Amino acid sequence: MATIEVLSEVIGSVWKIEKSEGDTVAEGEQIMILESMKMEIPVEAPSAGTLVEIKVVPEESVDEDQVLCLIEN
Amino acid sequence: MSDRELEGEAGYWAQKIGELKQRRDAAAEMGGPENIKRQHEAGRLTVRERIAAVTDADSFREVGTLAGTGEYDENHQLKAVTPATYVAGTARINGRPVAIGGEDFTVRGGTTFGAQRRKGGQGGYIEDLAHHYKMPLVNLIDGAGGSVMSAKRRGYVVFPGVDGFERSVELLGEVPVASAVLGTAAGGPAGRAILSHFSVMVEGTSQIFAAGPPVVKRSLGQDISKEDLGGPKIAVNKGGSIHNTAASEEDAFEQIKRFLSFMPQNVWELPPVVASDDPIDRCEEELLSIVPEKRTQPYDMKKLVGMVIDEGSGFEIRPTYGKAVITMLARLGGRPVGIIANNPKIYGGAMDADTARKQIHFMELCDTFHIPLVFFVDVPGFMVGLKAESEGTLREGMRAVYMAGQLKVPTLTLVIRKCYGMAGMATCNKSDIDLKLAWPSGEWGSLPVEGGVAAAFRRDIAAADDPKAREKELEAELQVYSSPFRTAEALAVEEIIDPRETRPMLCEYIALAENRLKIGLGPRAKAGVAP
Repeated sequence: MATIEVLSEVIGSVWKIEKSEGDTVAEGEQIMILESMKMEIPVEAPSAGTLVEIKVVPEESVDEDQVLCLIEN
Repeated sequence: MSDRELEGEAGYWAQKIGELKQRRDAAAEMGGPENIKRQHEAGRLTVRERIAAVTDADSFREVGTLAGTGEYDENHQLKAVTPATYVAGTARINGRPVAIGGEDFTVRGGTTFGAQRRKGGQGGYIEDLAHHYKMPLVNLIDGAGGSVMSAKRRGYVVFPGVDGFERSVELLGEVPVASAVLGTAAGGPAGRAILSHFSVMVEGTSQIFAAGPPVVKRSLGQDISKEDLGGPKIAVNKGGSIHNTAASEEDAFEQIKRFLSFMPQNVWELPPVVASDDPIDRCEEELLSIVPEKRTQPYDMKKLVGMVIDEGSGFEIRPTYGKAVITMLARLGGRPVGIIANNPKIYGGAMDADTARKQIHFMELCDTFHIPLVFFVDVPGFMVGLKAESEGTLREGMRAVYMAGQLKVPTLTLVIRKCYGMAGMATCNKSDIDLKLAWPSGEWGSLPVEGGVAAAFRRDIAAADDPKAREKELEAELQVYSSPFRTAEALAVEEIIDPRETRPMLCEYIALAENRLKIGLGPRAKAGVAP
């Protein structure tokens, strides 16, 4: 079993979290939406697995390469 | 001629040919079975296996085969030869001639071999071959450059540049240069890799840096592994020193072959046109729904581009660096084109310093090799914020504008959604016909209405009973004027097209551009001082 860190590709803030801890996600499935440069930036699962931890909350500011959540597969 | 004389002549030739064979065999054996085994155990091919893998079967014709260090007995008879640390020659890739060479890591770790004439690397024979015969150069890099041991051998130290990069620099304006980093590259070979039009390194088995961990430890006191210092995560994704990452050596060779398939043999020739079985009048229905109505929602630009270009023809350069722009070699109706597409999924496509650098390199590449450019535009402007300013986004962004102003190659600008400000100017070529096409979803201006209203009507908004509502009201008022159809009325954008018409329209113009390309062949003139 491997743990994969899902990183933010942008500086911005968390707008909407669409999944919960424990959910299974498919590769490419949207986990949350960030807001950056007035755009809704989707955060997609880099691979299929179980969402074991969400490390951010709505409205929280995020930095580039910040770990947003963890997926185990 | 008597029998005796004939026998003497045959003996003479048998001896000469025997020695030639002995020396050739020594070259083929490289650094010997032990070192070859070690190379394989490290997950790497030998230089000869690499050359065979990247070139057409039996097309490699070696040159400098006998270069090396001979060992002789007391009668001056050859005992053994240690081959030079570089293997070079001519070959064909997909039927087209190339000059190719690489360090032999199994001989002295591929360190520079001092002889009367260098075989490869900067200033090497292989570079002269590419220069004089005007053919692409492929560098298979696996060495760390000079060794301090050479000073002991020579009795003095050389001044930097005794084997300089002059020829390497010259080649960048003449013939395609592609380099694969296939081991740990530092010093000269690392520099050589950078002076390429396309470079690729292998995940897990290759690293590149100005200097490796021991030097870092001594200079800065930092402990760092060579992978953390110069693996693809740093050298490709962060630093952008190398363009692409490959999953294996074979993948790296495939990428080099793919890159060269779009390139002419030199700047005096047209890029190669191939037959395409993808109809030029193919109109994709899906293009009509790919851009969301909601302006704040991004979409998949790679998918969009993929639906327009010849099916499967796209080869992305630097997919993991400066990701707010996508740079891709592709074909339209079989003709090579350079695609520059903003990526709304990263900062809405805004241009930051890395993105600008990536776009500049790609524009120069296509301009040098007479490959027409097609911009798929969705750029809200330069990236904003402290990080962007600290990275010199304004300067790098204006260098992109400067570079666009220098373009001589035919260029098409297709606005998909946003085209704002100075970053928008970097998507047009005013020295060409400056054809600007747009989808009905297109919008443009000096800056987007949203940010502009807050700045221009600050007092008006502040004085209102409900400032938020007033701001929205002003935005709605000005939004009316941003309809692309109004700009088309003024012929300030030359044509608005149905998204489904994109491929036929672009293919048509790229075919028309051929006459322009023919009269513009030759080296690209350099002008001015880049900001």
